[in-house]
Amino acid sequence: MSKKGTSAFILQRASAVILAPLSIWFLFEIVSALTADYATARAWLSVPLNAALLGAFFIIGALHMRIGLAEIIVDYVHSWAKDVLLFINWLAALGLIAAAAWSIYTIFFAG
Amino acid sequence: MADGAASKRPLSPHLQIWRFTVTLAASITHRGTGVVLYGGLLLMALWVIGLALSPELFAAVSAIIHSPLGFILIVGFVWSLLFHLMNGLRHLYWDYGRGFAMKTATMTAWLVYIAATLATALIIWAGYGGGA
Ligand code: HEM
Repeated sequence: MSKKGTSAFILQRASAVILAPLSIWFLFEIVSALTADYATARAWLSVPLNAALLGAFFIIGALHMRIGLAEIIVDYVHSWAKDVLLFINWLAALGLIAAAAWSIYTIFFAG
Repeated sequence: MADGAASKRPLSPHLQIWRFTVTLAASITHRGTGVVLYGGLLLMALWVIGLALSPELFAAVSAIIHSPLGFILIVGFVWSLLFHLMNGLRHLYWDYGRGFAMKTATMTAWLVYIAATLATALIIWAGYGGGA
């Protein structure tokens, strides 16, 4: 148990360090994303660098947010609901990774 | 707490005894923005899924983005990401063992609130056509 806590602590910090530059990139992108139409957005995601960085943002973000919310759940919920919430938290992170990876893959190879 | 009396483990600080400090506010806001970003990332996934599946679905998601509600969501998400990012750097600096002096911590907390708000205004202004 204590070993698990340590690796979660390290992964939370490692993911934060990677997320920092990714977020700055992302904040620049979101400016153009606000006005983009379907064709523009798909063309944008067909650029390898954009697809890779967006994929990385989702996957590392999912790992980081799962650990973070698990910590919050453990802080506030002490009943049986804790395990249910922790399980949903896992599903949400896995679903996010799967959905984002599939979408980016599909768009990237459709051209 | 199920068995507070029996437990020998230390209790966290008492919830009713505290006074306002900007460092405390920043700590609570870090947690709050973390939860907002969690929801935001899930919404963002909808955006890419729509982009992958069909122009119609993408148009539906785009319509929400361009509505007043969408504007509020985007401002909230951008501010949350900026705050959480900058305050996260404070956390990482602490993990490195620095920046704990009360004066430093108070100053950086104010700085994060101000810088996040200014940068949000700039990004939203540029994003909605003020810039290009
Ligand atoms: C994709 C966006 C992000 C999401 C969804 C997210 C979510 C979260 C959540 C839910 C927590 C737990 C908060 C708590 O326990 O009070 C957290 C903690 C943390 N986040 Fe993020 N975060 C994101 C981006 C970032 C970025 C870009 C950084 C960069 C520095 C960062 C740094 C941290 C740090 C250092 C902690 C630990 C704070 C502590 O020790 O209490 N996060 N995050």
